[in-house]
Amino acid sequence: MKRNVLCFSLLAMSLLIVLILNLHIGSTPLPFSDLIDALFRNPDSDVGRILWKIRIPRAFAALLLGGALALSGYLLQTFFQNPIAGPFVLGVSSGAKLCVAIAMLFAFRFVQSVNSFFLITAAFIGAMLSLGFVLLVSRKIKRMSMLVVCGVMIGYICSAATDFLVTFADDSEIANLHDWSLGTFSGTSMQHIAVIAAVVAVGFIGAFLISKPMYAYMLGEQYAKSMGVPVGLLKAALVILSGLLSACVTAFAGPVSFVGIAVPHIIRVIFRTSKPLVMIPAAFLGGSVFCMLCDMLARTAFSPTELSISTVTAIFGAPVVILILVQRKRGEL
Amino acid sequence: MKITVSAHQLSVGYNKKQVVEEIGFSVCAGEILTLIGPNGAGKSTVLKTLSGYLKQISGTILINEMDAGHIRSSDFAKQLAVVLTERIRPDRMTCREVVETGRYPYTGTFGILSEHDKQIVEQAIRTVEAAAFAQQDFSATSDGQKQRILLARAIAQEPDILILDEPTSYLDIHHKIMFFEILRKLAEKQKIAVILSMHELDFAEKISDYVLCIKDGKVQSCGTPDEIFTPDNIMQLYDIPKNLYEKYFG
Repeated sequence: MKRNVLCFSLLAMSLLIVLILNLHIGSTPLPFSDLIDALFRNPDSDVGRILWKIRIPRAFAALLLGGALALSGYLLQTFFQNPIAGPFVLGVSSGAKLCVAIAMLFAFRFVQSVNSFFLITAAFIGAMLSLGFVLLVSRKIKRMSMLVVCGVMIGYICSAATDFLVTFADDSEIANLHDWSLGTFSGTSMQHIAVIAAVVAVGFIGAFLISKPMYAYMLGEQYAKSMGVPVGLLKAALVILSGLLSACVTAFAGPVSFVGIAVPHIIRVIFRTSKPLVMIPAAFLGGSVFCMLCDMLARTAFSPTELSISTVTAIFGAPVVILILVQRKRGEL
Repeated sequence: MKITVSAHQLSVGYNKKQVVEEIGFSVCAGEILTLIGPNGAGKSTVLKTLSGYLKQISGTILINEMDAGHIRSSDFAKQLAVVLTERIRPDRMTCREVVETGRYPYTGTFGILSEHDKQIVEQAIRTVEAAAFAQQDFSATSDGQKQRILLARAIAQEPDILILDEPTSYLDIHHKIMFFEILRKLAEKQKIAVILSMHELDFAEKISDYVLCIKDGKVQSCGTPDEIFTPDNIMQLYDIPKNLYEKYFG
């Protein structure tokens, strides 16, 4: 209990520090004294406009979407009862990406404007389609490692299809489609943030509401059922909530790799628990801190050139996945 | 005495494919019924059906005089608890936390334990004599300790009926004796009706009140240990030739 309080305070503190750093660091460093002034007294000054139009939306996009991604990974891990499940390796992100690309092209061609909810819906459909395919395969193949290979293959197919669409759709309006398809938190507006916040809140509260059956489900399907857990309902809720969260991420930031596996694992190690009631908020906070840090690196490391967010998250996230594989005993996957 | 659980004309199986038919028995509070029979005879299928995991093909199961099929799943879990053969590998759960999950049917929306819940968990841990390693990681304990913890988890569910599927198969003789001692005491003191399957005939004879023999899709015989454990009956049930039986048991 004491450990939880300590770890949560540390996470919250790092979140605050990283948030302030994200506002401070950039192509024009903003001194802290100016920050406060521009934030509250002078939102129309030059500094104020940089903050409110660019840095704050971007920081909050990383905060909300990073948390959503980590939570989505944690829900999928609970579903598959395996720590290497995640929206990226199971092809969920790529499926969502393909559907969003199709939806965007369609929208530019015929409607000339893109509605946020339209994009999220497209991403959700894509996420559900690829997850549905993985689930179909999982009825035949019980081994998690093969399931992940299958997910990665789905990912490649969807990515190839997306690249194809992006390459041949050379309209000037969709210039930023290219950036998006690689993954980035830039280009989000305050209106987007409001939509993101609403969707993520739904996913977060939903996850909280199923935390009790999730805990019982950790003992396996049969024990869970014997304690009165409606196993079918729980599994459906896990799939829908994780799909919704990763769809929201993909719709606004494109594919972001490895956060869904790496962050929940790090959180489990730090908190030394797997209680959903602790894991849900902790994984969310951890994902926020992780993505804000990675985004800061992505835009400052080789400034003025920006890295795609997946480049940075992969550098830190992929080794964690290898570590999990090494730590687990043979034959358990 | 009050009958806690009974089966009438019960047929069990998977996907309408019948495995065992015409099962009938009744178990009172505090009694132990043991299922014996050769591998693959369908003992697990019977137990899975009794615990509600499989739907019966025909016949009825009565629990506390109510049709088991009509009991709400949340109430069902307060009356019946299980110890399964399925091996579990919960990630980062202490033994105590595994036992705590047994309170599932009694806790609120978020599953937070009350003082009363915690007392019952501690009581269950003491009953299986697991206080010394309750704080350890579940996956780091021995098979004997794991089985006791899973029994404690079932006890924490405060059931009237306890169903155990070959609970002692992996255990050494010391842990087998310990496990059956705990089970016997549990049945007597807490008036729980126990139904279990096992292959250890020597133990089955000592701890059971009734024994049900299953073979070739049928209940072959049913009775008290004295009636069942006769050389003829055992030879026939397990298809052991007379000379071999005498060589090893005679």
